[in-house]
Amino acid sequence: MHRSLAFIIPVVVVMSALPASHAAETVWSGLVIAENVAHPQPVPSELKRIEGSLKRFFGYNQFKVIGQSQKVVRTGQEDWLATSKYFGLHVDARGESKGGYVLNLKLYKEKELLLETETKLSTHSPLVIKGPQVGGGQLLLVLVVQ
Amino acid sequence: MKTFEEKWTAWLDDQLTGSELSQFEASLPDKAAAEAEKAGSKKLGELLKRELSAQPLANEEFFSHQLRERIIQETREPVRQSTGETATYRWWTVPRLLWVGAASLAIFVVFTLGVMHEKNPAEESQYLTQILNARVDPVVSPNATVSIFEVKQDRVTVLWTEGLQSLPADYAAK
Repeated sequence: MHRSLAFIIPVVVVMSALPASHAAETVWSGLVIAENVAHPQPVPSELKRIEGSLKRFFGYNQFKVIGQSQKVVRTGQEDWLATSKYFGLHVDARGESKGGYVLNLKLYKEKELLLETETKLSTHSPLVIKGPQVGGGQLLLVLVVQ
Repeated sequence: MKTFEEKWTAWLDDQLTGSELSQFEASLPDKAAAEAEKAGSKKLGELLKRELSAQPLANEEFFSHQLRERIIQETREPVRQSTGETATYRWWTVPRLLWVGAASLAIFVVFTLGVMHEKNPAEESQYLTQILNARVDPVVSPNATVSIFEVKQDRVTVLWTEGLQSLPADYAAK
């Protein structure tokens, strides 16, 4: 018993260190208007994690979600849309990559394509895209694997 | 009073003398056969003496040394065998098993840290979101440019566009 114990302990440690396979994950996609206002509203919960980076990087004090989508990605082949009144973000998943998903993103203003990008969205790393200037603020596109 | 066998043995060895000899020889039923047997016995005795005498050893000391070594070796071996079995049994004691386990764990940790240290730069980029390509519609925004930034502190990747067409505040509506 003692002899086997000496071999079981390292094996258990090795097994626990092995990476787990991909499970279904939720991708949050948001259209966010960043502005500087006198009395900023609290940052939405989805952006809490990156609040500091957003404020430092873009220099705004309020981040308001004008459109969003939460999609459970199971196969890595799904596609979805996050829309506001005038903007639409189409996300087309094109398979899993190491530690995330390959996504094709298209930002539309009504029916006009403004921006297209292909990205490897990591489960540990949010993506922020700086969109066009809107009034005194800025449109941001944010994708986070939750 | 000697028996016949004792007198016979003494006669063969020429130990009988005087009247005892003459009386014994007179008692023999066939003296000629007895004399022939005596002669044969003597011949046999001489042959045995000659053949079975001890051969002198050329290296007496060497042989005795070899013999002693062999005896010592044979008397030690059983002791060694028995202590060997005990040693094998005693090796797997609980403290030793714990040490073996701890040592295995330490080796694993050292190797893991080594491998992680080597792979860190590559893995860090795997953990960060990567922009594979980006393009802005050149008709709508002909002067637009794109740049990529990584905020490693929060592991945020930023696709930064410049020169996109500005829009009125109405477009911020939900």
